[in-house]
Amino acid sequence: MSVDQHADHDVIKHRHRSEGPQKHIIVFIFSIILTVIAFATVAAGGVNATFTVILLLIMAILQVFMQLGYWMHLKDKGHLMPILFMIFGFFVAGTAVIMALYWVWW
Amino acid sequence: MAHAHSVKRHKGLMDWLTTVDHKKIGILYLLAGGLFFGIGGIEALLIRLQLIKPMNDLVSAQTFNELITMHGTTMIFLGVMPVIFALMNAVIPLQIGARDVAFPFLNSLGFWTFLFGGILLNLSWVMGGAPDAGWTSYTPLSTNTYSTTHGVDFYTIGLQIAGLGTLIGGINFLATIITMRAPGMSFMRMPMFTWTAFITSAMILFAFPAITVGLVLLTFDRILGANFFEVANGGSPVLWQHIFWIFGHPEVYILILPAFGVISEVIPTFARKRLFGYSSMVFATILIAFLGFMVWAHHMFTTGLGPVANALFSISTMLIAVPTGIKIFNWLFTMWGGQVRFTAANLFAIGFIPTFVMGGVTGVMLASAPADYQFHDTYFVVAHFHYVIVGGLVFGLFAGLHYWWPKMFGRVLNETIGKWEFWLFAIGFHLTFFVQHFLGLMGMQRRIFTYLPNQGFDTLNLVSTVGAFLMGVGVLLFLFNTILTATKPKGVANDPWEDGRTLEWTIASPPAEYNFKQIPLVRGIDAYWKEKMAGNKEMTPAEPLGPIHMPSPTILPFVMSVGIFIAGLGMMFSKEHFSNSFMSLIFNNWIVVIIGLLITFGSMLLRSLFDDHGWHIEVEELEEEGVKA
Repeated sequence: MSVDQHADHDVIKHRHRSEGPQKHIIVFIFSIILTVIAFATVAAGGVNATFTVILLLIMAILQVFMQLGYWMHLKDKGHLMPILFMIFGFFVAGTAVIMALYWVWW
Repeated sequence: MAHAHSVKRHKGLMDWLTTVDHKKIGILYLLAGGLFFGIGGIEALLIRLQLIKPMNDLVSAQTFNELITMHGTTMIFLGVMPVIFALMNAVIPLQIGARDVAFPFLNSLGFWTFLFGGILLNLSWVMGGAPDAGWTSYTPLSTNTYSTTHGVDFYTIGLQIAGLGTLIGGINFLATIITMRAPGMSFMRMPMFTWTAFITSAMILFAFPAITVGLVLLTFDRILGANFFEVANGGSPVLWQHIFWIFGHPEVYILILPAFGVISEVIPTFARKRLFGYSSMVFATILIAFLGFMVWAHHMFTTGLGPVANALFSISTMLIAVPTGIKIFNWLFTMWGGQVRFTAANLFAIGFIPTFVMGGVTGVMLASAPADYQFHDTYFVVAHFHYVIVGGLVFGLFAGLHYWWPKMFGRVLNETIGKWEFWLFAIGFHLTFFVQHFLGLMGMQRRIFTYLPNQGFDTLNLVSTVGAFLMGVGVLLFLFNTILTATKPKGVANDPWEDGRTLEWTIASPPAEYNFKQIPLVRGIDAYWKEKMAGNKEMTPAEPLGPIHMPSPTILPFVMSVGIFIAGLGMMFSKEHFSNSFMSLIFNNWIVVIIGLLITFGSMLLRSLFDDHGWHIEVEELEEEGVKA
């Protein structure tokens, strides 16, 4: 069985639950706003450094979720496996990073 | 769909170089893995010959270091991993009722990158010295300060390329198992070997990036003058150990889980009983994989992590004994009350159980941090990991090869010779490694090239060497068996063991190019057995007979791998001083690297620009073959 044949099936299955472009446009505008906020905060200067870092992180996390949920379709049905694998990936990578920070460099 | 594309069919060597058929790629993996297994085996025999008596001078200390490094690296990465992939390729699509893997092109690419990585690594023997810093390649021993030949460069770049192939293979099997199961085959109806292959692929996905990063850092340190592991410039050698074992410990479960899967297929078939505790088997497999990522520091108890970390990692390591114990008891209960047939495959599977338990028990001993201070870097550790890797994995692989050989090649391996293989290999194995426990407890260190007489080591080392040669004879018998079998005519039944339980036994041996004429409908665990019990001769098809879409053969994966190989060699010698000005021109200016990468990326471009829609096998053709059969 080739991938192409699968793709044919998937197109048919997916088509009826596609919601049109509205949501994607909203999400796109929202990501641009988030990006502008992040850039503007840094460009404005004078803002407390700790505050800037925290704000940037929050903006980044929101962005990641929107990217994954809408553009990578993780919010749709049938994406349980990618979600599980991503969570486990974060777990493994996070363990390694925390280890490196606490054991090797501190 | 009725418009047939004509496809260029290749013959002979070109057929093998261009194939994207999972069954043929499985055979390629088996051949390449067998070759490297042989090389690693010869290295092992040389090691044992050197240690046969005290103060031996068969090989120099330097050669001995190269031998132990290459033995470990070759066996793990180039010997047993490909044989695992051989079995996965040969069996998984058949077990889940699919016509190929999800990405046939990637499958071929994975094989060729692995092969060229392995060749690059082994070229080190004839190109100025093999790697000599141990298979773990610990820094600072593996940095430029202490390792001045190109040996470790062959290690970093060869493994990087081979690792690429493994990663590609793992991702491919994940996609295949998630998306291509036959109708009715839910996750909890998958055969156990498919389950373990699935979990193994997931572990490959998470563990291999760690070694990739580690190897990149080490390559940068050695070739480009970075300082990740150089203490004098603020680097940390212990970081390498962490990175290596974050990969390395999951890696040993990547190795052993498929063996668990093979045993879980072979034992029920030859006991004529369904696997005892299927769902607990699945649960145990997942738990082993999960815990496998949280135990890496037990390789580093003596680096001074502190009592809290040592205690935590001791406990998490000992926890792994629980799911593994579940598995052992499940296999025993599967045989309990069954009609057990002692075929060669089943002998290896049953021999696996006590041998692996012994390796597991020494594992729990090693998990105890205070005791580990005594065991660390002695032959006790060597005995332990050979008990789990040889006594576990290699027994499992032999069981799987005997079991699936008829499905792969259409011929059953000779049973009498098979039983001789088992007894020679098993007795040789225990002779070699059982005594090493005691050598270790007496204080013989691993990785030393010789020892003084009259310390109590002499006799045990002699016994160990004799055992190693018995194992060698066992492996040679297997080789002889395969050659002998190849001379016999093809044509075994679909289900040569007569008690086959899973889908691969419902189709011809070896299967047609498209595996299943019609994708079967799965109605329970052990789909074929269920139909047999319902009195059916074959599976109910889940689709009408229709044209079958096939992927086209292509040479591009081979060319891409050649490109990476050339780039790797160029990278390695980029800082070398050549007396020949032409060599110096092309290597020192990165021209070789650029040429190699151009070949690889050029092939990728070709692949992207020219759509390949594959071709179809028409219904008439299928029906014709049906008449013939």
